[in-house]
Amino acid sequence: MIQLYHIWKQYQKPHWALSDVSLEINSGDFCFITGPSGSGKTTLLKIIFRELLPTEGQVLIDGVNILKIPDQKIYRLRRTMGIVFQDFRLLFHQSVFENVALPLRIIGLPYKEIRRRVFHALRQVNLHHKMWEYPQRLSYGEQQRVAIARAIVNNPRLLLADEPTGNLDPELAFEIMTIFKEINQQGATVIIGSHDRELIRYFGDKIFFLQKGKIIGKEEKK
Amino acid sequence: MRLRQFGYLARAAGSNLWTFRGRNLVSILIIGFSFLIIGIFLSLSNNLTYLGEQLSNNLAISFFLNHNIKSEEIDTLKQEVLSSGLNLEIKLVSSEEALQRFKNNFPELQDIISSLNTNPFPPALEVRFKEKALSIQTITAFMERIKKIPGVEDVQFNREWVEKMASLSRIVRAIGLFLGSILILASFFIISNVIRLNVFARKNEIEILRLVGATNNFIRLPFLIEGFVLGVLGSLLSLVILFLLMELFPLYVGNSLGAARQLFELRPLTSGQISWLIAGGIITGTLGSVTSISRFLKV
Repeated sequence: MIQLYHIWKQYQKPHWALSDVSLEINSGDFCFITGPSGSGKTTLLKIIFRELLPTEGQVLIDGVNILKIPDQKIYRLRRTMGIVFQDFRLLFHQSVFENVALPLRIIGLPYKEIRRRVFHALRQVNLHHKMWEYPQRLSYGEQQRVAIARAIVNNPRLLLADEPTGNLDPELAFEIMTIFKEINQQGATVIIGSHDRELIRYFGDKIFFLQKGKIIGKEEKK
Repeated sequence: MRLRQFGYLARAAGSNLWTFRGRNLVSILIIGFSFLIIGIFLSLSNNLTYLGEQLSNNLAISFFLNHNIKSEEIDTLKQEVLSSGLNLEIKLVSSEEALQRFKNNFPELQDIISSLNTNPFPPALEVRFKEKALSIQTITAFMERIKKIPGVEDVQFNREWVEKMASLSRIVRAIGLFLGSILILASFFIISNVIRLNVFARKNEIEILRLVGATNNFIRLPFLIEGFVLGVLGSLLSLVILFLLMELFPLYVGNSLGAARQLFELRPLTSGQISWLIAGGIITGTLGSVTSISRFLKV
């Protein structure tokens, strides 16, 4: 499903954020990209959802070279993905419902359908009882779950998460990861950037190890 | 874009206007203040135009005639004046009428006139121009031609004063145009920067929208609606303040100006000017939004 060929990324000379990274992720994989801070995890994820362009290399998703997609058509690619960030990126002046409904508003679904899907997504993350609350009144863990509900509400085929448990205590982190696993079992490909070794060991099916921008290892559970 | 999406975005714009009301109020005040200054200038310029019109309406030349002028000569003179091609009306003022007018206007000088035993006032032909905005050159040429006709002794026309008013009006208009252009440019600059600050403060929201797959138009539209509303409200605010100034100015400042009051009077804007002012607000608000948001829409 996702193929990265010889990806190089340089922000500032002479340092390379990514050096010759090549990897392949299959449809339905539950995959971790791990490594210490500054190893290039976030850069790699940003290249996959085309927030960043690599200095060199090619990225294919379902056979389509996403680097060739013109800027004004990128929204089509993003609509097939769900993205979860470490800092949640919620709209704090809008309710939980409106935050989760955003991807559906964008595609112009009727309100009834939006309501049904938002409720379903919030129930998956066990937050349906707080649908009309505002994010600032929720705990960190709950805010993260709102961000996950927003990422899964349009049933994406690919879910990307950058350090989704970075700010959470171990129990909550485990709970969040379980939600990701459930989403994966429903058919979505999940790619998580994380440095939490325990979680990775417990949940990871396929693990890529990054260090100083290079893939130094790969592990796959059979 | 579907109608329901437009409805959602319009509601989102309304909600944003309310949520960020403090910041938006500042934008409205700045737009309002900028257009108020332009409005005051327009209003003053309207007043000068009005004064100019009054002046040209009262533009009259008096041709003083020989005391012994014959009625045939008067007829010829009338014919000459009427055949000038100018749109005017004439009135023959006899010596007796002139005397009576003087007595009415200056009753305290009646004794002096009575002591003369004769009527010193010559008959006169008064010519009043109906046509507005006649050039001084046209009037002078007409005057010089009529002056040469036999029976005409003298002519009275306060040419210098009229010329001075005309040049003052030209200068004021030029200064107004210059100041107006600078003000419009300055207000556009201020407004687009205020809106840019608004957009910058919401760059997180724009970022989120882009990442969940919004098109550029979807992101742009609420900002455009907000810019439009801010522009309308700002220009309406300027009109309300201008109206209040017009009402209050004569009460508080006008009386202390004495004779100069007439020059500084604020005259109501025409419906055309009001429309242009509102359109200006809308254009500034919307354009300010467009230019400010475009830099955030690059992927």
